[in-house]
Order: sequence, then C-alpha cells, then structure tokens
Amino acid sequence: MRANTCGWNSRQTTCWSCAIKPVIIHDGYLTTKPHLYGRGALLVGLAFLWMGVFLFAPLAGLSALAFASRGEYGGVEWTFTWENLSRLAGHDEFGFSWNHLLILWRSVVLAAVTTVLCLLIGFPMAFWIAARPAAARPLLLALVMVPSCVNLVIRTYAWQQFLGSQMPAAWVAQHLGLVPDGASLYPTVTAVYLGMVSAMLPFTVLPLYTSVERLDWSLVEAARDLHAGRLRTFRHGILAQCMPGLLAATILTFIPSLGMFVISDMLGGAKFLLVGNLIQQQFGSMNNWPFGATAGLFLVIASLFALWGLRIVSEREAGRR
Amino acid sequence: MRFLPLALLVCLLTAGDTPPVRIFMYSEYIDPTLADAFKAKTGFTLDIQLYEAQEEMIAKLQTGGTDQYDVLVASGVVVKQMIGLKLIQTLDQTLIPNKANVGKAFLNHAFDPGNQYGYPYFWGTSGLMYDPAKVKGEPTWAWVLDPASQPGPFTLLDEAKTTIASTLAYQGKDMNSRITAEVKVAVTALAAAKNSPKCLGFAGGVDGKNRVVSGEAVVAMVYNGDAARGMTEKPGLKYGLPKEGAEIWIDMLMVSAKAPNKAGAHALINFLLDADVAAQNANFIQYATPVEAAMKKIKPELLANPAIYPTADELKRTHYLEDLGKDSRMWDAGWTAVKSH
Amino acid sequence: MTLPRWVPAVSWLGMTLLYLPLLAVAVLSFNSTRYGQSWGGFTVDWYARMVSNEAILSAAWNSLVLGVISTVLATVLGTLLAIGLNRTPWPRWFKRGSDLAINLPVVTPDIILAIALVGAFAVLREWSAAFKPGMTTLIIAHTTFQISFVTLVVSSRLTTIGKDQVEAARDLYANTGQIWLRVLLPQLMPGIIAGALLAFTISLDDFVVSFFVTGPEATTLPLLIYASVRRGVTPEIHALSTVIVVGTMLAIIAVTWIQAARTAKPQE
Repeated sequence: MRANTCGWNSRQTTCWSCAIKPVIIHDGYLTTKPHLYGRGALLVGLAFLWMGVFLFAPLAGLSALAFASRGEYGGVEWTFTWENLSRLAGHDEFGFSWNHLLILWRSVVLAAVTTVLCLLIGFPMAFWIAARPAAARPLLLALVMVPSCVNLVIRTYAWQQFLGSQMPAAWVAQHLGLVPDGASLYPTVTAVYLGMVSAMLPFTVLPLYTSVERLDWSLVEAARDLHAGRLRTFRHGILAQCMPGLLAATILTFIPSLGMFVISDMLGGAKFLLVGNLIQQQFGSMNNWPFGATAGLFLVIASLFALWGLRIVSEREAGRR
Repeated sequence: MRFLPLALLVCLLTAGDTPPVRIFMYSEYIDPTLADAFKAKTGFTLDIQLYEAQEEMIAKLQTGGTDQYDVLVASGVVVKQMIGLKLIQTLDQTLIPNKANVGKAFLNHAFDPGNQYGYPYFWGTSGLMYDPAKVKGEPTWAWVLDPASQPGPFTLLDEAKTTIASTLAYQGKDMNSRITAEVKVAVTALAAAKNSPKCLGFAGGVDGKNRVVSGEAVVAMVYNGDAARGMTEKPGLKYGLPKEGAEIWIDMLMVSAKAPNKAGAHALINFLLDADVAAQNANFIQYATPVEAAMKKIKPELLANPAIYPTADELKRTHYLEDLGKDSRMWDAGWTAVKSH
Repeated sequence: MTLPRWVPAVSWLGMTLLYLPLLAVAVLSFNSTRYGQSWGGFTVDWYARMVSNEAILSAAWNSLVLGVISTVLATVLGTLLAIGLNRTPWPRWFKRGSDLAINLPVVTPDIILAIALVGAFAVLREWSAAFKPGMTTLIIAHTTFQISFVTLVVSSRLTTIGKDQVEAARDLYANTGQIWLRVLLPQLMPGIIAGALLAFTISLDDFVVSFFVTGPEATTLPLLIYASVRRGVTPEIHALSTVIVVGTMLAIIAVTWIQAARTAKPQE
C-alpha cells in the first residue's frame, strides 16, 4: 500500500487528495473525514472544554507564578525573577546544595520500588480475579477498592497501631531479635513500603484487570504449542497482550506515588523530605507560593517525561507481539 | 392567647435570620457547651470550622477565604504575617470591654502593639516530656540533641521554627537568631541528632506523647497540652522546660478582614474573655488561660500541674518566637537541609 | 486455564495487605480508652456517639452526595472522551496532545491542582455567584480530576477490545448507533465500572483540593477527619471509618446479589 499522511486506516480508497473530502473506509463503513472529526470533536469537546476552563487555563496561570517573587510576608509580588528556578537548582540562602536533587532522588526511588512491588503482587491478583466465576468478579474488584474509601491518614495510622511495640507483629520481631526489646516496627523502610503498597495496590489491580480479563488464552496456548519456554510464553503471549493495562497500572501507581509523602512521614519518621513535602510546605508553613509553583510544575514536567518514556517502552513491547 | 402560636411561628421563622458567627480554629479547642451559653447571651449561633495546621488556614485565607470566617485563631508568631497579608482587620475596642480581664503580661506584644488586631486565647509552651524512671536529671535539650547524652529513643517535634529555635537555645544562641552562620551550625547539629540511631524521627506532639506513654520512647519534644494529656494517661511521666531555654507561644483571637458578621465576631471575642467563660473553657481544654480574672476559678489540680501552668522560674527561661521577615527564608532553607541529609 | 499454585497465595497476601489496617481500625473502634494505644475494654459507645454527632453525619452526607454526583459526571465525560479519542482517526499531534492533557491531572500534585482550581473559581466568581466556595465548586473540582482517571481506565479497555467485533457488526449492516450501544458499550462496561469505582474512591478520600475549594457549609468527611487527627485519632473516627467500610461492602454485596438474581430469572 502507498504511504499516506492520513495515518489511520490503510484501506483508504483515495490517498493523495487528503485535503478535499476524501471518502474513507473507517471501521468497515464508508464515511468522510469531516464527519468523523465532527463526531469525534463532539465527544471529546465536552470533556476538554470542562478541563480547559477549570484546569488547563489556571495551570497556565500558575506557570506565570513560577517567575514571580515572594512578597515580604508570603504573598505574591508580580515582579519577574529567576530566583525560583535558581532555588530549585539548589541555590539557597546557604549557598549551593544538593538538597533538592536528593529529595527528588528519594521520591523517585520510593515510587519506583512501590510500583514494582505493586505490579509483582497486583498482576497475579488480577489473574486470580479473572479466573473466578463471572458472578464473583465484580464483587472481588469492588472489595479491592473498598479499603480506599477509608481515609489514607486513618489507614496509615492503623498501620502505626498494627506495627506498635505491644502488638503481635512487633512481639514476633522482638523475639526473633530483629528489633530491640520494646521497640515498634516503625519507623522503618519496611513499614513505609508496607504502607505504600497497601495504599497503591488497588490502583494497580484495577487497570491490570481490565486487560487481563480480555486475555486471549488461545494465543498463549499457541505459543506453548510452538515450544516457547515459560518465560517467553509469558513475555510474548501474556505480557504483550496486557500492555495497555500494564501501562495504565504503572502510570496510576508510579505517578501518584511520586507525589506522596503522608505514608513516608507517618511510617518513616518524617526524617526526609520528599517532593510532595517540599511542594506542600511552600504553600503552608514556608509561604513561598512562587517557589511552590515552580517545584510543582517541575514535578509535572518530570512526570510527563516519565510517562512519555513508559509509553515508548510499552509501544515497543506491544510491537514485538 | 391566640396570638401565641403566631408569635411562636414568627420567632421560628426569624430565628434562622441571625447569621452565625464562624470561628476557624484547631479541633477540640473550645468547650462545646459554650455555644449554648454564647447564644443565650448574645443571640448569635456559634459555628466552629476546623483546620489541622494554622499554615493551612493562612493559605486558605490567601486564596480568597477571608469572607468565609469571622473569628480566626492563630498563634502570635504569624500575626505579623497576617497583618502584612491583609487577612485580619483592626478591632473595634469599644465592643470588647472584657479586655480588662486579660493579664497585663499577655497584652501588648511586639507582633501586635496595643492589641489592635487581636486578644489572647490560650498560651502554652513547647518542651520535653520524659519518663523519670529512665531519664534522670533536669530537663535539657542535650537529651535529644547530643548523641553522647541521649538516654534512649526519642522523637523531635516536626515543626520547623520550634525545633530550630530550641537547637539555637541549646547552643546558647538567640532563639530568634537572624545570623546565617549560627543557623547553619544549628541545622547541622539538628541533622546529626535526627540521624542518630536513637532518634525515632520527627513527630507531632501527639505522636511523641503516645510514644512515651507506650514506652517506645523515653523522651519526646512535645507541646505542653499533649504532655498534660499524657500525664493523665500514664501517671508518673513528667514534662519540663529545658534549662537552656524553651518556646512560649500564645494563640490569638482575631477578626477576619472580610468577616461577614463583624458584630458577632466582636461579641464572641468579648464573650471568650469573660472571666467565668474563660475559666470554664480553660478547665475543659486544659490549657493555660491568659485571662487573669479567671485564675481564681481554675481547678486547683490544673494550677498545680507544671505542664499547664509553669512555675515562675520556668517562665523566666521561655521566649516568644518572632516572625523573622526576610530571614524566615533562611530558616526554611535550613529546615530543608535538616530533612535532606 | 489453570493458574500456577502461587498465584492464589500472592493474591491472598495482597488482600491481607489491603485489609489488615481496616481490621486494626475496626478493633480499635471498640476500644474504650479515648486517647493512646492501650486497650481499655470493649465498648460500643463510640458508635452511639458517632451516630448522634451532627457534624459527622452532615459531613458524611456531603461526601456521599459529592462522590456520587461528581463520579456520574466524570464517568460520562470521561467515557465519551475515551471513545471519541479511540474511535476517531485523529492526526498524530492531536493524539499526543490529548494524551498529555489527560495525564495532566494524574501527574499534578494535589496542592497545585487545588491552587489552580481556586484561581479558576476566583476568576469565575466575578462572572457568576454560583462559583462561591461550596458544594458546587467542590463537585466541579472533583469532576475535573476524576475525568482523567476514568478516561485512562476506559481507554486501556477500549484498546484491548480492538476493532474486529465492530467491523463484523458493520458487515451485518448495523449502523453506528447500534454498534456503540449493543457491541461496544457492553464490552466496555467492566472498564467503565472500574473507572467509576476508581473515581468514586478518589473523591471520597480527597483532602487537599477539598480543603481549598470548599466553603464552611460543605464540610466533607476527610476534612473533618484530618482536623480531628491532630489531637489524636479517637475511636469515634475509627468507628466512622469502620461504618464506611462495612456500609460500602454491604452495598456492593447487595448490588451483586440483585444482579445475580436478575440474570438467574428464567427467560420470559
């Protein structure tokens, strides 16, 4: 077939007169591009209009804030300055420091490890739910989401209680010599990851399930019939088919984890700032809204880059199907 | 007689017309039964709105929330900032005759000369709560800040100004130091203390208190109210103000800049400064009241509790924290450094 | 297909991780000591107090109303968005741009979202008083960030469905309307429901955005809970959380039961 600029459907009947109303075959029927676009615009227009008014426009305004100065008492003075960007790069009242880089690094590590753990547990869970009888599946899915209805602070506080020095879990650890007598199981790294995984797991399982449920097992069997080893069967038979769900799950787990700090504070002893802490504080005790906007928008841009990277990886994997 | 139902109906219909007086404060910071007394005395309904931290309140007010609340409660250290940001308005002093009840020591602070903007509500201190069975001697910041003399697991207060100021006091410097070099030394020491193996991390006052009560920690940096509560939960625990110096704080009642119910706001402030009301409130909340006229009605066991009413000796080594203006950015950078290393 | 033996084990581990804190919360709600962690004795007092606590009841009602309305709005808008993006041959730049736009709310920290929304409402308030801080602004704010989550889940489901069935239906002379209603939508339903569930729970638990955007008459549960946590989480709050969990579970079981009963009805 001749290469064309329309991009969508290779069964296009006229391919060089794209500028004028070309008649194309889309989804098996004859139609015109303007008709399709018109219908599409109506569908996406509502949501984009909504988000445009309430989100995109104000976010653009916020980007302007990144170049404004902080007033004497913490308000905003609209005088142009590079100070916020230089502060982000590490130049503060004490000179240059790596603080912000360290903060970013810790957040990325926390989010990455959490995502990996969630995927390791969530993928089998999605399969298990998909293998249940049809009537039980929506029930199980909903049961996975129910814990998220309880306030995150309350749930994390419950973990604190559960890991407390008088509770059975700490008892076992004390007798095994893992922690000194009378100590609780937090603040520790394990406690933080317990809290993070328990909080983010529903956001991993649900998107994974939507792909796993529609898995075409005949392809998996075909791969096995062709003498593919277990790993290759998994990678090319199962993983490749679940790519869309996997991508959504990774996004919905990694990105919010990047900005989280409540769990790390409550179960990790609040010893280290994460990106979320840094941003929140600028709008709170430190009252430096321009710098808060800068740090926040930096996180947004960095996350979008991460997203872009994830998408490229997933497209490449799906392409290898 | 037949007009009675009609009169009642009219009363019912117009009862909803009195606008409420909205106060924005911490949770459990007022005796809930006072709402009825307030209504009986002034006819206004009290509506309590809660925030978790006063910086959240300030952020919310900055985004246009000043017309949603009437009375604001915040500590003195942010009053200057709130005045500068135009979040509060000057008081009509004629509507607050009960201001005469307030002890002279609690009036006319540097952050609000002449009390043009607010009157005090409760005051307290930040210090160390400890288990005397495991920690011996007079309270000192060395228990948490000196790795060589830490008696056991401890928590630090997760509050930038208080913790840095306390470290400065421990090092013999001014608790409101504006000198970069001094703050840098304090910050380094604080980071070292945080990283020492006995440190259980930063925690709010309540968490720290819980740790000491459960025995997981032997000393915790807390607010005095938390300590008072902890001492009720586990008698035998003690609270003290370290000999190097400690923070004294005072919460102020102020009127929001665009308060919808100005008359009600002033009435509420005046009501809370009444001797009987202040006494009842203080006995319930178990914080120290600045209303001198109420002191004779405070329960004796509360007066005797040094966690609520410190001794004169202890008070001598307390300092108010000030708003540092431009230098607060330097302290902020310092706090970031503490929590990055 | 038979799953390897460790799959159910890992799944149960996952469920345990999810429900362990809830169990702890439930147990603590019967604790008679108000503050602190020691066990004081079994009591149902907190439940009684919670039920008669006006503030809690009104906040719970607000949260529920807010959750339902914003979820419905977001699900409708999000599903339309997902279908419109997936089923139209947009040029590449538009698809990349839409991707970016949809991911923006997921990627933006809560506080930035909150400030942006407050800014938008401040401007809109000049134009119409309907944008005064209160339930309306809350619903709008929640819908705005929920749309992305719904779209992401529904889109991934759409991609999995593929084009074959639609083309087959087309060959059987079905028009677009029939295809979407009777072929696409039923297949999409699990994705839509998953997206709606996700959106609902995000709304129920949101604190930062709600704090900045709401007015004093529209307090939600998270706002009430966060403010109370400062003084120490009381068993009353634990009782409230337990009630929420049990209530949600009962609602789900009821819905599933009704669904099962309906499908078990003999053909008429």
